[in-house]
Amino acid sequence: MAPTALQEKLNGLVNSMFAEGLLDEQFQQLQMLQDGSNPGFVAEVVTLFCEDSERILAELTKLMDQAVVDYSKVDAYVHQLKGSSSSVGAQNVKLACIQFRQFCEDNNKEGCMRALNVVKHEYYHLRSKFETMLHLENRIQAYETKQQS
Amino acid sequence: MGEVTEGDNGKVNGGGGGGGGGEGEVRVLVVDDSAVDRRIVEGLLKRSGTMFEVIAVDSGKKAMEILGLNEGKAESPTVNDKKIDIILTDYCMPEMTGYDLLKAVKEQSCPKSIPVVIMSSENEPQRINRCRAIGADDFILKPLQTKDVQKLRSYATSMALASKAGTKRKMPLDLMASSWAAFWLDSARRFSFYCVIFLCWCALILYERSLNGNL
Repeated sequence: MAPTALQEKLNGLVNSMFAEGLLDEQFQQLQMLQDGSNPGFVAEVVTLFCEDSERILAELTKLMDQAVVDYSKVDAYVHQLKGSSSSVGAQNVKLACIQFRQFCEDNNKEGCMRALNVVKHEYYHLRSKFETMLHLENRIQAYETKQQS
Repeated sequence: MGEVTEGDNGKVNGGGGGGGGGEGEVRVLVVDDSAVDRRIVEGLLKRSGTMFEVIAVDSGKKAMEILGLNEGKAESPTVNDKKIDIILTDYCMPEMTGYDLLKAVKEQSCPKSIPVVIMSSENEPQRINRCRAIGADDFILKPLQTKDVQKLRSYATSMALASKAGTKRKMPLDLMASSWAAFWLDSARRFSFYCVIFLCWCALILYERSLNGNL
C-alpha cells in the first residue's frame, strides 16, 4: 500500500478511536510530543501503558479470586490503572476504573467482579486498536526510512 | 504494585536541542512510581525547550539517594557532580509518598532547599494545603499537559537564575524576561485577589454599621 494511503488509514483509525470515546484529548497531547527528534514517543508510551495495564489486570484478577477480598489493595491497583489510562488518554478504560473504585468503596464484590470485566473488555478493545495503529505507524516509518537511504 | 523496573532508575536524558550540560540547563528530578507517567513527564519536559535535563526515578527512596539525603547526610544534592535544580514528584507512591519526600527535602540542612513541585491525580484541597503548608512550591494536577510544563519552566528558570546569580553563567534574555514576567503576573494576581477580599470585608462592615445606625 502507498504511504499516503497508509497515512490516511492511520488517521482514519485514530479519528474513529476519538469518535468512539476510546481516546480523549490527552492522547492528542502525546501526539504533539512526537516529532523528528522523538519519532517513537507515542509507540513507547502506548507499549508502556499496555505492559503496565496487563500487570495490574493480572493482580486484580488474583485479588478478586480470593475468598475474602482485600478491597484496599484492589482499590490501590485500580487507582494506578485509572492514573495511567488518564495520562495516556484512554478514556473508556479510565471511566471503567472510576466505576470500579465506586464498587470498591462500597465493598461490593459482585459489583467489583462486573466492573473488572468491563475494565478488561475496554482495555482489550483499546489494545487491539493500538496494535493496528502501531503496525500502521511502523509500516509508514519503514517506508520513510527506505526512501531516505 | 509499585514494582521497581530496574532499567528506568536514575535515567538521565539531555534536554532537546541544546545538548547536555549546556548553559542555563535546569536539572529536574522526576519521581513517580508509574513508568507511563515518568515517560510522559520526561517527554513533556524535553519537548518544552532546550533547558531541561531529566533524571527519572521510581521511588522516594531512590530520590533520597540521588539527593544525598539518606542516613542523615546533609551534602549538596548532586548527580554526576551537578546540582538538582527542581524536584517534580508524584504524591501517591508506595512506602514513601511525595509528601514524605517533600518533608525530607525541606528539612534538610543545606543553605538553600530545592524547589519541590507535587503532581497528583486527585484535586483535594486538603492535600494541596497540607503540601503547601510544609513548603511545596507548586501543585500540579495530573494528567500533565504542555501548559503545566511551561509554568514549571518559568518557575524553574527563576529558581535557576537565583541559584546561579553571581556566577559566570549567562541566561538568555528572553528566558529571564519570561521568568520575571511570570513572577510579576503571579504577584499581581495574588494582590488583586487580596484586594477583592479586603473590599468585600469593608462592604460588610459598612453594611452592618448602616443597619445598626437605622435601629
